[in-house]
Amino acid sequence: MAAAAVALTLRAAPRGVPILSHVPVLTAARHLHTTPACLKTRAARVRVGKGDKPVTYEKAHPPHYIAHRKGWLSLHTGNLDGELGAAERTVEDVFLRKFFHGTFPGCLADEVVLKRRANALVGCLLLLPHLAPAKLCFLVGYAETLLSHLYKCPVRLEVQTVPAKVVYKWL
Amino acid sequence: MASARPANYASRIIQKQCFLPTSDLMGVRFSGSHAQTQEHKTNPLVTISEEPETLYKRLSLLVKGHDKAVLDSYEYFAVLAAKELGISVEKIHRPPKKIERFTLLKSVHIYKKHRVQYEMRTHYTCLELKYLTGSTAAVYLEYVERNLPEGVAMEVKKTKIEKIPEHIQEPVWDTLPQVEETEVKS
Repeated sequence: MAAAAVALTLRAAPRGVPILSHVPVLTAARHLHTTPACLKTRAARVRVGKGDKPVTYEKAHPPHYIAHRKGWLSLHTGNLDGELGAAERTVEDVFLRKFFHGTFPGCLADEVVLKRRANALVGCLLLLPHLAPAKLCFLVGYAETLLSHLYKCPVRLEVQTVPAKVVYKWL
Repeated sequence: MASARPANYASRIIQKQCFLPTSDLMGVRFSGSHAQTQEHKTNPLVTISEEPETLYKRLSLLVKGHDKAVLDSYEYFAVLAAKELGISVEKIHRPPKKIERFTLLKSVHIYKKHRVQYEMRTHYTCLELKYLTGSTAAVYLEYVERNLPEGVAMEVKKTKIEKIPEHIQEPVWDTLPQVEETEVKS
């Protein structure tokens, strides 16, 4: 973030040597922001804009509201005191979210909620009706079978269609 | 072994399956040998074995989770299940929560004075049940474990009651032959 102002200027010509005017002059200048208003946390926050950006409940609340106004998107026992396997679950979650984002292109209304109940994986999706119901059924079955074979555990998808994205706030 | 504990679940099973000639045996649970006075339908799911039941003095369920509301509702469910099966609940206590905190650097490079703090809270609820038989404990634990909500972990501790082994039942000094006391002259 720190950047020094760099400016290259023509070296002063020594006496007796003519200054060549056709030599290109390179100047580069980077400015440094030092005002305290810019030093704010930006993690998982949607910045306030002109009021034309629709924001869901999930995205509108910053992370310090988890367990107060927000729930969890991924429910497993890895992060409990004295339990193992947190890193493996996180890696699986990252892959699963990317997989669902790709399998249902443009249809996800909100983040996927992943639940783990004793070896079984339950994915709760909120979908928009951009695809025909037959196609959605096929994609749900395809995702379930493929993920079950990949992770060697029963995978279930609980899908609900919503007419449009549920907007909580306009920022 | 017949126990006179009020077992409403067990009596419902007896009413459905075997028709007893006397009604004063209604609350009695049959384990091991039982008298078949009339023909009754044998339920293929119920097995009766001749070996004696293991007895548990205490069954301690420690439930941990991130969300206190989920733990409270699970505790209500477990207590209700125990009451339906006729298991007496000794006590329900909530050990204090444990918070694991760590402080990390906020920036990728330098800026040592600006840090971020994360924490993970684990809430506990401990359910203690007393005086169970092995089969009751197996049934109850199977039911309660299958219905564990996601994100909740459970640790079960069983305290078994065993008979005192035969070689300790009588004190050693009773079995030894009596030795005459000799005077010791100092």
